[in-house]
Amino acid sequence: MSLTISCPICGKRDGYEFRFGGEERGPRPDEEGLTHEQWCSYVHMRINKAGIQREWWYHQEGCGSWFTIERDTLTNLEVEGREET
Amino acid sequence: MLCRFTENTKKAKNKLMWQRPPLKGSYDAVIIGGGLHGLATAYFLARNQGMNHVAVIEKRYIGFGGSGRNTAIVRANQRTKENLPLYAEGLELWPKLTDELDFNLMFFNCGNLNLAHSEAALGSMRLLVASAQFHGIKSELVDAKQCKEIVPILDISDLPTYPIMGGMYHPPGGTVRHDAVVWGLARGAARLGVHIHQGTEVTGINVQNGKVTSVETDKGKIHTPRVLNAAGGYSTLVSAMIGIRLPVHVLTIQAMVTEPLKPILHHVVSSGAYHCYANQTLKGEIATGAHMDPWPNYTTQVSARYIKHQAEALTDLMPCLKGVKFMRSWAGLADMTPDMAPIIDGNNPIQGYFMDCGWGYFGFKSGAVTGKYLAEFMASDQCPDILAPFTLRRYENHKLMGEIANPVNYGPWN
Repeated sequence: MSLTISCPICGKRDGYEFRFGGEERGPRPDEEGLTHEQWCSYVHMRINKAGIQREWWYHQEGCGSWFTIERDTLTNLEVEGREET
Repeated sequence: MLCRFTENTKKAKNKLMWQRPPLKGSYDAVIIGGGLHGLATAYFLARNQGMNHVAVIEKRYIGFGGSGRNTAIVRANQRTKENLPLYAEGLELWPKLTDELDFNLMFFNCGNLNLAHSEAALGSMRLLVASAQFHGIKSELVDAKQCKEIVPILDISDLPTYPIMGGMYHPPGGTVRHDAVVWGLARGAARLGVHIHQGTEVTGINVQNGKVTSVETDKGKIHTPRVLNAAGGYSTLVSAMIGIRLPVHVLTIQAMVTEPLKPILHHVVSSGAYHCYANQTLKGEIATGAHMDPWPNYTTQVSARYIKHQAEALTDLMPCLKGVKFMRSWAGLADMTPDMAPIIDGNNPIQGYFMDCGWGYFGFKSGAVTGKYLAEFMASDQCPDILAPFTLRRYENHKLMGEIANPVNYGPWN
């Protein structure tokens, strides 16, 4: 099954038009009092979920938007119709 | 009577290479993942460390994951001083293991030819060759004409999209039959008393006072002071059970084989720019590996896009393969780290919890040797020097390894 991604501007398009931008991992931590461990956790550590995750995509060969979708990593299919959380 | 007779002979013919013992309530060590790394560690724990009371827990069947899905290529031309000695010893281990296990691993040291299609790639190869030679590993730079002498079916004209400018030739590399390695190690380990539990899923790891106490499985609880996460592509899922996050994302790396041909390709050929590597198996098929879908997923599916890409790459480099059909395709999970080097660590931060993961698509080449040192680590609680650089702590200490800057990332575009 090939992957399609729903771009908020261009609509549903072939997944290969997009660049994967990583799993959603919250806001960038404050630099004030930031420890190496916290920074490493934000930059490198991943949940790498087997199931539905919220993640970032960039429409590289399209409109250039950055946006998040939910995708099931076990089926490689976008999960549609879910409320933005 | 006849029926009973055939039944008996059938039983004799299908003698199990490893037994299916009942799951015991306690073991000295539990290894999660019945792949090459897990089985090798179990084998060396029993053989070299005298720890025979070991269980290998495999959710599906041994060799289901990356161990049975790789393209069986072995080599020792990594980039950094931390990785080179481990891969070099790994390469020397295959013929020794063949003897030791009394199992034909079909090690074929045909040599690897890695092609360069740009000045940037050649520059990167100069560094790799110098590093390899410094560590006593045979590796040399060759020009396009020499590439053609080594692999006559290569097209070294300016017709390919990315013409061949030269390459890196690594004579001691080659291929090993990956199923044989899994079966040989499983049989060897089982003969030394290791219990292999297939179709058993680990559901949790229990920790008390900072120490591992037991492992929960769908077949019952196992008390143990030592656990190894050797789950390969699924290592982050096991790691999550104990609350340790890893800098790992899992990608599907795709592979395929063509119909069998007469012998035409006698080496492993690879090209970073085309993201293509190929060798001819002893059955005559061209086994070839391809791109990874660049977004994490656990599907092990192949995509039409990369089958097409693979056909284009192979026929661009070796035009005589035009018209040859792919027979089978599959994909395996690669647990990728930011610096393309594995994470091998133990007793940190949890006493008795060891990890051997993040091998990306290099897990096959040095699996056996890693198992040997990891067994030493698990039995003695002392990390051998050769494994020390691969600690998980290197990421927060900003000491990432330089494996990412290897020729595969250099092409005509940079």
